[in-house]
Formats: sequence, structure tokens, C-alpha cells
Amino acid sequence: MTKKQISDEQLTFYYYNDGLRAAERQEIANALAVDNDLAFQYQRLCLELELLSNAKDIQPPSDMVERWHDTIRRSAEKAVAPEQKTGFHTWSFFWGFAVTAALAVGIGIGAFLSTEKFEQVPIQSTSVNNGGENSPFVRSLRIHLRDSEESLAAFAAHSPSTKADLIVNIIEQNRLFEKAAERNDEHSVARVLRAFELVLIRIAAEDTSAEDAEELREKLLFELNIMLTKLSQNTSKEQQTI
Amino acid sequence: MMVAVIKSVSLPTRAEFHAAISTRSDRWYSACLRITRNRELAEDAVQEALLSAWSKRHQFNESARLDTWIHRIAINAALQILRKNRPGIFEPLEVDTAVSDETPEINQHNRELEDQLDVALRALTETERVCFILKHLEQWRLKEIATDLNINVGMVKQALFRGVRKLRLQMADLQVNNDD
Repeated sequence: MTKKQISDEQLTFYYYNDGLRAAERQEIANALAVDNDLAFQYQRLCLELELLSNAKDIQPPSDMVERWHDTIRRSAEKAVAPEQKTGFHTWSFFWGFAVTAALAVGIGIGAFLSTEKFEQVPIQSTSVNNGGENSPFVRSLRIHLRDSEESLAAFAAHSPSTKADLIVNIIEQNRLFEKAAERNDEHSVARVLRAFELVLIRIAAEDTSAEDAEELREKLLFELNIMLTKLSQNTSKEQQTI
Repeated sequence: MMVAVIKSVSLPTRAEFHAAISTRSDRWYSACLRITRNRELAEDAVQEALLSAWSKRHQFNESARLDTWIHRIAINAALQILRKNRPGIFEPLEVDTAVSDETPEINQHNRELEDQLDVALRALTETERVCFILKHLEQWRLKEIATDLNINVGMVKQALFRGVRKLRLQMADLQVNNDD
């Protein structure tokens, strides 16, 4: 029986288990089973290629690693309120305005949800903590609301998959704010944000018709706008007071 | 419609990102440094990967590992940076020549990478080196490499085989020198 000629190149791709047709692979496997010289050649190739796998990892300098940590810190802070409670101790009474505004919107949403035959969200009035418009939480909340408003305003122009991404993005940001509010015992704010989420889920639900989704979106947009306006008014009042 | 997407809103947390940086950033950096051969570009690639991973964390598949996901994004970022800095880098070369454009940055990289493989990699052209790194060290499929480098699979195979052949010779030489 004549030996089948197998090239170094074929052996290399046989090793990688990639780049050869099934028949070609079988042919090489058969040849390796009967041809000792070829088997030895392949074994050597395997050993040499294994040697080439011993690449050491290079330790990046510590200042570089610190910059990467900073990147995440900054991105996270941009997206969500700070996790530390200490920031809340120094809040001025203006935080009250923010909570009041949030509650007003929450009550609005509750009423709106009940008229839309959705499960009503129990939004109650709760105690108001000290806080300030300049607090990172309020600033971040305002950015989140403004971003959500902008995303919803441009909603119709997007494809279904982009719409889905937008909704998921808003919900995930909303949940981060909910958690931050809960951590800081701002339960009323958390409830309002949960109410937003319910409306968002209804917009995205399979059994919501396009018309209903559009109507919900417009109402939510309206509520967001009110909340933002209230927050802005509180800013002006704070500045005047100062 | 969109409900299926909403089910998986459990995102990798900030703490998980920090943990991944602390434990695996040497792997990301090494891979990017081998691709770009430039410390600053490798740092930028990792930086961009982290930013991108953070902003797209809702796309992260929970069954995958966060550090592996970032690793892949970092390699893509490194390739993109390489292409941006040196347009046409992966276009086919008629002549099979070794890299001859060693800049001070590349020399610095060479000093940093002292193991034998990295010394041997210097003998390869850019395309051979990148194809070898992606296939051999990163275990990409040939098709993926071709798609990412925007060249055909045949060219990837050719570059990879030539690279492997050169590396085997280089490594044999280095072993002989070491034995001497």
C-alpha cells in the first residue's frame, strides 16, 4: 500500500482542528494510524506547538491598573447615585423638594395606572429626609430622568430591537436608582421608580398593542417631564434661598 | 415582543468589574500588548474594553464569565486600534518579510517581553503575528479571524502556517543558543 503524502501544513491545521474538511481530517487520521514516520513527525509538531503556548502574562504597572479601576468607578458614578450613606448626612432640606416632586409624579402614575386598568401601584406618602438639590443622588436622578425622557421621545424612530434595548437600558438604570434609594431609606422614591418600571414593562409587553404602547409612552413621557420640571424648580428655589 | 429581553436584567455589578480587573487584567494587557506591541496602545485597548463592557453590560450573557467577555472585547479593541494607527496593516503582502519597522515603543515592548515566545514573535510579519496570537494563544476559529481582519480564510491559513513555521525554527534556534 502506498503511503499518503501529508504535508506539514495539513498536520498543522489537523492539530488546530480547524481549516480542514471532514474528509481531509479523516484521511490524515488514517495516515497517522499506519505511518510511523508521519506519527513521529506529528508528535514533534505537537510538542513544538505546545512550547509556543507557554506565553507568560505580563503584569501591567499598578498605576495603569488603578486607572482601569477609575474608569469603572467614574462610569458607575455617572450612571448611578453613590452607594455611600455618608453623602446623605449633609443634605440640606431641599432634598425634601425632590422627594415631594417624586411623590407627586408617583401619585400621578398611580392614578394613571388605575385608569388604564393596570394593577395599581401602592404609592404612599412617607417621611421626607433631609437632602439637597446639589446632592449627587438628586443630580444623578435628574440625569437619569432626562436621559429616559430623551430616549422615550425618540422611541418611534427606532427598530424593534433598538426599542427593546432602550427599554432594558431604562429599566436597568431605574433599578439601580431604586436600590440606591432603598439603601438610603428613601422608600417613597423607590416606589415611584418601581411605578415607572411597571409602565415600561407594559410598553414592552407582548400583549400590549402598538397603539396602547404609544399611548403609555406618551403618558410616561409627560410624567417624566413633570418630574424634571419640579426638580428644576426646586433648583431655582434653592439658588434663590442661598 | 420585548418581554424576553426584559427577563435578564441581572447585570454584572461594579464590584464584579473591579474584581475582574484585579485578577485578570494582566491577561487582557498581555494579549493587547502582544497585538499592538505598544504599552500605551495596549492600555488604551483595555481601557476602551472596560468602558464598552460597562456600557453594554446588559448584553452580557450570564452563563459566560465576565473576565472572558472583557478579554474578547479588549482584543477587538486592540485590533481596532492597530488598524486605526496603521491602515492597511492586514492587506496581503507579496513578499514574505519579517517586521522591520521597530519603533522605540516596540523596542520597549521587546524589553518588557522577555520570554522566548515573544522574542521569536519578532520574526513574524504583522499579519502572521496577529493570526498566530488569535489562533494559537486566543483559540479563535479561522473564520472569526478572517472576519475580524477583513481578509479571507485562505490568507489567514497561509499567514498562520508561515508564522508557525518561522516560530518553530526560531524556538529551535533559541533552544540551541540556550543549551550552548
